[in-house]
Amino acid sequence: MKSIYRWLTGTCELQRICKSCNETGDRTTAVEKSLGTSKTESLRKITTSLGINVNDAVQHIAVVKKINHESSINSEFICSLSKCLVQICTYSQLKDHVETIRSTTYDSNNKQHETMLMKLWDLLCPDNQLEQRISPQWTEIGFQGSNPETDFRGMGLLGLEQLVYFTENYTQVARKILSHSHHPTYGYSMAIVGIHLTNMAYSLLVSNALKPHFYYSNVSATLDEFHKVYCYLIVEFDSFWRSEKPENILIFNEIKEKFRLKTLQKLKTLRVLRSFELM
Amino acid sequence: MKKQSNKDLRILLLGLDNAGKTTILKKLASEDINHITPTQGFNIKTVQSSGFRLNVWDIGGQRKIRPYWRNYFENTDVLIYVIDSADRKRFDETGEQLGDLLDEDKLAGIPVLVFANKQDLLSAASASEIAENLNLHKIRDRKWQIQACSATTGEGISVCNKINPVNRILLMSIDWRFTSCCVYGGKNVGQLIIRESMICISEYSYLGLDLIS
Repeated sequence: MKSIYRWLTGTCELQRICKSCNETGDRTTAVEKSLGTSKTESLRKITTSLGINVNDAVQHIAVVKKINHESSINSEFICSLSKCLVQICTYSQLKDHVETIRSTTYDSNNKQHETMLMKLWDLLCPDNQLEQRISPQWTEIGFQGSNPETDFRGMGLLGLEQLVYFTENYTQVARKILSHSHHPTYGYSMAIVGIHLTNMAYSLLVSNALKPHFYYSNVSATLDEFHKVYCYLIVEFDSFWRSEKPENILIFNEIKEKFRLKTLQKLKTLRVLRSFELM
Repeated sequence: MKKQSNKDLRILLLGLDNAGKTTILKKLASEDINHITPTQGFNIKTVQSSGFRLNVWDIGGQRKIRPYWRNYFENTDVLIYVIDSADRKRFDETGEQLGDLLDEDKLAGIPVLVFANKQDLLSAASASEIAENLNLHKIRDRKWQIQACSATTGEGISVCNKINPVNRILLMSIDWRFTSCCVYGGKNVGQLIIRESMICISEYSYLGLDLIS
């Protein structure tokens, strides 16, 4: 099929995609699919490998597809193909970066980790001093017991980093959510729920469900932007949880799953996750 | 309440937070254990073995959630109590919690299997040390066993071990069903269950667990 088109139009599939797709997201998605299903192994690899130099990759594609990349006729194609490749490669790099943070275990002997943890407390409870490092006070911000160290578990340092990112960048919103989490009937453990939402953000990223969010928005797939997705999740989950009027915390997993499906639906229809509260 | 089929067993997995309940649950169900988060509420998984369905309920161990444990007591066949063997500071707390559970009317007589978890950690107390600490030897009103294990390495948990924990749970449940049926439903019901479990029992009799007496 592709070869018939190629013969008829004198262009390769990538060129046709770049010409016909007006929206960046559509273009990147189609280019990624085309490269991923290419007969040439080196082209397939571009979509999965890490640390790819975009200029080299574009040149390589041009050589394989017999396109003169220096000719001005093709400059528009080369430019838009580069943009697509940048999006594809940044996403892969983000996955790798996030995995490194997630697989770092929280270590109470590590000063940086401890400083981050104390920062979380100070940002959330400025008027309430932590009496000692091991203290039941940690449950006030939603850890399970006296030592938050054991609560990060499978999310490692990523869980803490995202909680701190959220409280640091949206301090007022975070404090409001903390007060919601103390509600007598619709309360929950904020920090633990936060770690669950780190897990959700992480799974969405790894399963590539977050690709539309980055491909269709103007933001590039940086760690900062990934943390913003987390902030979106925590804010939206808080209002979703209250709107569901849960009888008690026991139905947490059920509501979390409902919320996850709703988020997936949004990624399919709206593509970009945005919360008014965070603007 | 819906009557359970004879092939459906209800297993309750309890213990303090960070004891390793969810990791054990996932290990029993042969699932990935790398992305676990603290349990809010509960998790449930069904493990099939020797024609039985073990419905394992893992309820969060956080202090705030413990009052809800009782919502899950009804019709339990075996209580699995998980202990972080390396967390010596909380041995008293976990002992008290177990004591409270054994005093519950709805759990009266139900066999208890204690998992002395995290044996891979250097500071872990041995199973016998824990048994002594928790005064398990003083339990007279039910059958109990203790199993040293490490949920992360799979030692004492993985079904490929020589002593398969699923079989152990199965045997304890069947024994309990038999005993309670003999009391409440007459010897015939008890024998029916025995006949159903015959194959399984003979298959695993090498365990040397003299459970059916």
